[in-house]
Amino acid sequence: MTHRHKLWAAFVLLACLHALVFFAGFFAPYDFATQNRDLTFAPPTRIHFVDAQGRFHARPFVYGLRNDPASAGYSVDQTRVYPIRFFSRGSTYRFGRVFPSGLHPFGVDDPGRLFLMGSDAFGRDQFSRFLYGGRISLMAGWIAAALSLLIGMIVGTLAGFYGGWIDHILMRGGELFLALPWLYLLFAVRAALPLHIAEWQVFLLLVAVMGLVGWARPARLIRGVVLSAKERNFVLAARGFGASDMHVICRHVLPQTWGVVLTQMTLLIPQYVLAEVTLSFLGLGASEPIPSWGTLLAALQQYYVLSSFWWMFLPAILLLPVFLLYYAAADALQERLASVPL
Amino acid sequence: MKYFAQRVIHATALLLAISFFSFALVELAPGDYFDSMRLNPEISQQAVAGMRSQYGLDQPLLIRYERWLAALLHGQLGVSLASRGPVGPVLRLRARNTLLLSGTATLFAWLLALPIGIWSATKRNGWADRFWGLATSALLTVPDLVVFLGLLLVAVRTGWFPTGGMRTEATGGLGYWSDAKDFARHLILPALAVALVSVPILIRHIRAAMIEALESPFLRAARGHGIANSRLLFRYALPAASNPLISLLGFSVATMLSASALAEIVLGWPGLGPLLVESILSKDVYLVVAIVMLSSVFLVAGNLLADLLLFASDPRIRME
Amino acid sequence: MRHRSNQYPELDCAAPLVRIERLSKQYVQRGALTRSKVTVQALDQATLTIRRGTTLALVGESGSGKSTLARCLALLEKPSAGAIWFAGDNLTEMNSKNLLPFHRRIQLIFQDPTSALNPRLSAAEIVMEPLAIQGEGTKLWRRRRALEMMEAVGLPARWEHKRPLEFSGGQRQRIAIARALALEPELLILDEALSSLDLANQEMLLQLLADLQAAHTLTYLHISHDLRLVAQCADEVAVMNQRTIVEQQSALELFARPRHRYTQELLEAMPSLESICLERSA
Repeated sequence: MTHRHKLWAAFVLLACLHALVFFAGFFAPYDFATQNRDLTFAPPTRIHFVDAQGRFHARPFVYGLRNDPASAGYSVDQTRVYPIRFFSRGSTYRFGRVFPSGLHPFGVDDPGRLFLMGSDAFGRDQFSRFLYGGRISLMAGWIAAALSLLIGMIVGTLAGFYGGWIDHILMRGGELFLALPWLYLLFAVRAALPLHIAEWQVFLLLVAVMGLVGWARPARLIRGVVLSAKERNFVLAARGFGASDMHVICRHVLPQTWGVVLTQMTLLIPQYVLAEVTLSFLGLGASEPIPSWGTLLAALQQYYVLSSFWWMFLPAILLLPVFLLYYAAADALQERLASVPL
Repeated sequence: MKYFAQRVIHATALLLAISFFSFALVELAPGDYFDSMRLNPEISQQAVAGMRSQYGLDQPLLIRYERWLAALLHGQLGVSLASRGPVGPVLRLRARNTLLLSGTATLFAWLLALPIGIWSATKRNGWADRFWGLATSALLTVPDLVVFLGLLLVAVRTGWFPTGGMRTEATGGLGYWSDAKDFARHLILPALAVALVSVPILIRHIRAAMIEALESPFLRAARGHGIANSRLLFRYALPAASNPLISLLGFSVATMLSASALAEIVLGWPGLGPLLVESILSKDVYLVVAIVMLSSVFLVAGNLLADLLLFASDPRIRME
Repeated sequence: MRHRSNQYPELDCAAPLVRIERLSKQYVQRGALTRSKVTVQALDQATLTIRRGTTLALVGESGSGKSTLARCLALLEKPSAGAIWFAGDNLTEMNSKNLLPFHRRIQLIFQDPTSALNPRLSAAEIVMEPLAIQGEGTKLWRRRRALEMMEAVGLPARWEHKRPLEFSGGQRQRIAIARALALEPELLILDEALSSLDLANQEMLLQLLADLQAAHTLTYLHISHDLRLVAQCADEVAVMNQRTIVEQQSALELFARPRHRYTQELLEAMPSLESICLERSA
């Protein structure tokens, strides 16, 4: 595959992933907080095409579950059959936060349940929680990366362009941030913020924390680009016309940094998504009932969950393709930028 | 020596700045340790206020920092609010555990990465190189957290490794050798975990450094003299590549610390990581500051060590 | 196209446009890790004059300080000592705010046109830039003027959207000239501007420059190490050696009767210049 193909493939797949997560309300069959106390730790619902009598059904269906005291789990009740409906009515959500709708691509009628990834300790559908959780984790990653890059750009440009004591101070400041192992730094900054925070503030706070922590490395890279860009002849020519510093920076120097900025963006986003997941995993990030990929994984810290309920590990496995896509996109982007002249 | 003195001064200044920075950060948090006590009707407001001033939490920031710094110079790191005792002993124990873990993990990681990296470099673009290239890329894609959880799953399902803690309670006192074996069994999983997440990057860097050394003109000249390949590798290429590798060793301390913090939390090793999380959750101010400081001390020390090793091994630096 | 000399009627065309007096420039380099300072003398008491409407060629070997002189004159560097007089004003004693209008009147063309043009901008944007910087007119007016300048240097206006990489070396230099002329300067400094071009392009550009000089009463400072080129276009020649000017005369005089020892050595390499010069003035 050429660079272009790889890049496009990666971006298209990423876009699909983000669309799934963005429209979680639509794609998820259930709400992230709806509990089913009688169906806690239910395994992923099996989808059947052939029923007990051996008949084939064009429309797939699922069986109901009932408590089985013998195996301390669930057994299938073949008397209760729930066909899977497409474009069914289910839990309501708000489309674009304004229009309420109950439409979902698939679902089963009550009291049947379609748990594609099983359910957790409160009987909540893991698949739905995964999609909703993606919102927090991915968006936190994006916005934090953008914040870090913005700060890095401002600092790097100022330091590289003006040099002297400004450069000295800014780079020493950056060293401070780089002198702490990133996880410790993250914790330290997190410690500075109130522990128990309400919904939207969680998000903003997390984002601010992560963004403020990671500006140092991008700043260094951008400073390097600015240092070499400001010596180019066309910058000198612009000065020959009496160009002000601001003109030179905006018109000539900054455009040279787009390449670095873009590659840094694709590298930083997965890093920050991971940071959010880590924080939420440890209980320092999103708190119940807001799902985030980290809180989904938090249940795995308990011994009995790990040993008995294999489906609780699925969110961890599903994280792999997400990161793979981002790294592939970053690689493809780097190759593409390297092959474009200048 | 002047070179080294400069470095030390720089490191000290950095650590001082970090100490103020982390102190100020924790101070920014609204509320403090005694807030939870306010909710308890049995404890009077005066008692809470009294405890507060006893620990000096009612003083403004700069004064508290000064006091803390002064105490530091006397070897006192402050008081842990949760355990009511000095921070020092708690820290010492946990720090020892973390260092044990990081040290063992570094050993494992380099033991794995060095041969693979060198082998990949010599068999460049051969099937072995490509295989390891793919393996490292695959391992790099997996987030640290997932690796640790995966290993935990393996431990739980197979029962090969004990999960959590440093020793099995019941078997203490059976003799030095069995204690040591027990300890080792507890150490293996976390050390392996941390090593696993560090190995891919190490392999990449080692391979790159070796390739550069192998393609350098002086090595080609040596090969032209008919010197055997194995001798070339160990007596010529490896020493040439040691410069970047030593720097790598120093800098890998940083990533190792972060990774080990997470591994300690997930796999239940009683080190600095879990302690930090606990102290944040309970707003144990001085403990948090002490741990953060300690981690950066390790990091800066690691870099200094790398500089020193570099100085000792590379004559070019000595000449400057 | 306006006739140049009407714009500054108060000036006497016989008086020199540019007078450089004992110009010196030093660079101080601090060692990276060490405390030592290295002082490089780039210009040492250089003196020369340029008369309005003429072409002065500055020759000398590499490292003799030609480019430094050009940059000081183009106001890109601040000299360490000496004075630069331009049309009666002392430029070395002005602050940057007062120097702004002089940036319009003095322009510099670089040796390498590729590095002198921002590869991400289109030809029209490049030519428009000086007008935008000096705040002239509206965007529409600037674009029209840019297209006019492109036509004036022989580039079709329909190429306005092309990037520098899509042009040949000679065409890029034309864009640079168009850009320099956009602000209607009086003095144009060409720092080895033709050295990177092949002979055919050099001829064409020399012709273009001569036409523009006649049309706009431009004054040229032509820096070159190519004596043949110098003989083709220079009215006066100044010779630079060891970071200072050793001789300045009319071209014919210099080639016929060189006074300084260095000039003589230089000319010994090229015996037929006098004849080229004689041909031209005939």
